[in-house]
Amino acid sequence: MSQRKLGIGLDVGSTTTKAVMVDSSGKILGSHLVATGASGASAAKRCLEELGRKSGADTACVATISTGYGRSLIDFAEKSVTEITCHSIGVHHLNPGIRLLIDVGGQDSKVIRVGENGRPTDFELNDKCSAGTGRFLEVMARVLDVSIDELGPFALQSNSPSTISSTCTVFAESEVVGRIGAGENPKDIAAGVHAAMASKISTLSRRVGLTTPICVTGGVALNPAFRYYLSKQVGTELWMPDNPQLTGALGAAILSLEP
Amino acid sequence: MEVRANLVEQNSAREKKAYRPLNTQDLLQKVLFRYVLEGNAASDEGRLAWLTSGFPVEIPVAMGITPTYPEQYGAVVGSQKVGPTVCGFAEEMGYSQELCSYARSSIGSTRKPEESPLEGLPKPQALLACNNICGTVLRWYDAISEMTGAPVFLLDTPPFEGQQQPHHLAYVRSGLERLVEFLSKTFDVSLEEERLREVAENSSKAIGLWTKSLEACKTRPSPLNCADRFTTMAPVVTMRGAEHTTEFYQALYDEVQERVSKGIGAIRDEKIRLLWDNIPPWFSIFKFFNGLAERGVVFPADTYTHAWSGSIEGRDLFESAATVYSNVYLNKGLQAKVDKMTELIKNYDLDGFVMFSVRSCKRYSLGQLVSKELVTEATGVPGVVIEGDMVDSRLFNEAQIQTRIDALLEMFE
Repeated sequence: MSQRKLGIGLDVGSTTTKAVMVDSSGKILGSHLVATGASGASAAKRCLEELGRKSGADTACVATISTGYGRSLIDFAEKSVTEITCHSIGVHHLNPGIRLLIDVGGQDSKVIRVGENGRPTDFELNDKCSAGTGRFLEVMARVLDVSIDELGPFALQSNSPSTISSTCTVFAESEVVGRIGAGENPKDIAAGVHAAMASKISTLSRRVGLTTPICVTGGVALNPAFRYYLSKQVGTELWMPDNPQLTGALGAAILSLEP
Repeated sequence: MEVRANLVEQNSAREKKAYRPLNTQDLLQKVLFRYVLEGNAASDEGRLAWLTSGFPVEIPVAMGITPTYPEQYGAVVGSQKVGPTVCGFAEEMGYSQELCSYARSSIGSTRKPEESPLEGLPKPQALLACNNICGTVLRWYDAISEMTGAPVFLLDTPPFEGQQQPHHLAYVRSGLERLVEFLSKTFDVSLEEERLREVAENSSKAIGLWTKSLEACKTRPSPLNCADRFTTMAPVVTMRGAEHTTEFYQALYDEVQERVSKGIGAIRDEKIRLLWDNIPPWFSIFKFFNGLAERGVVFPADTYTHAWSGSIEGRDLFESAATVYSNVYLNKGLQAKVDKMTELIKNYDLDGFVMFSVRSCKRYSLGQLVSKELVTEATGVPGVVIEGDMVDSRLFNEAQIQTRIDALLEMFE
């Protein structure tokens, strides 16, 4: 079997590293996700080893494209492509109707207008500040003493979200501490935190233009309260792929099949 | 033998470089050296003024006053990669990191000249600020006045939308008359119209040649890249009105024409043509633009170096100066910026644009997100906004900027 018929995409993100292997038809053969930790290169290696073990393919012989903030660290990749293009291609592969993609990762959030051919035609990034990123929710979960996986379901139990006025992670942290001190219900505070974050992302999205249908990806998309409040803010339902953390790696894998 | 081998190696390395340096750069160094010497001498003789970049310099020059430019000095601080240190001297005094980094460089170097490039700017006898480029200049020059004792003159040119109204023109014109009074009193000099006409003519000649060099970049391949224009613009900013400035721009234009006639581009392999908006990151100007040149990206036009246009001429020189200096790019509304960018993209046949959102320069950066949309709507080409600063490298995150630029370039694939 010619290994050339396979493709691998490696997405070295700030928080997690993801690998996806596809066959020539773009069907996903396997994927793996690890925490990036201090070394993107070694996280990528661990991902590939696991992918090789799962699929039985010799990953060293498969065309690989790297993406994500650590993309340039992957010296064995044939080339590196930005996560903006890769997410767009990945989502388009799964759902060609999508016109706007909102990706919220651990350290940045991006809004991408997806062209009819799957390529981005415009985008905006929030990458200077942790407001509106996974990091914001991590800090809030710690203050509220809830695990990051429980934070979303916890917030959805609220019927009267608190108003969190600040979207700055540092200021919002003190604001939340103040609310706790004032005896407010932690569930309401958690809901307010999600609403504040959704408002920030919705503003970023409006800058690119709310063209439907809209898709959400990235680790934060797994949080149901974030999806609920974002959907309310943008006034439309949001589509989410089964594995919203893998779309960047998938897009890179699809691109690796191109001659 | 070894020396020769090294030379061969160096030549072939130069040959491989994506960017072709201008021969005129040598002359530029000489012209700028002269500017520094003249500034020092004028300060010693008690006839040096510090000016903002958009000040009607022709009037003080015609009255025998030598100008020097704190903004250009800020660019020097940036280029020498000591922005954080020199800005830090101002921050230690209590100035916010949010304040313009040109202002911080200027205030910081005035406080600690011995620890700043060129030992700071020579001591001024007057401070001439025109707020056609921003409002910060007034308080900045006030601060310098407190530190040096030099008096401040403000030429007020209120920003406007659309056409300049007659009352606006009359107001700015009266400011120019007050300027002559201020200079006469401060320096004990007078203004001869004949001399002003001579200076204005020199200034117009330099601007005319500069404009022709800029317009030559409409050709493919473009004879100049962004860094070429940002460095060779220095004399038109700082020495408008002097005869040797005209000679410099003649030399530059000759070289540009030669490149055009021989089909030589500023970069070796021009593939993508982009527009640049705003001041450049001085601390990495060559690294940034040459890095993109290696990937076939050239910037045949930018909004910044095109700002020095317009000639002072006609029967009423004061009215002409009031018109030219009120109508500068940054003194007009958002629509004027959008129109200028659209015009440059169309006339220079550009594929896209990069807008540098400069933390320091609020007047330039305000509205960029909206203008980005409007320019794309009007031209159909994509653009990207990158964030940072012109002097304060602490605000410039290379990895994040790289991702945005890469994503823009991927749109052309």
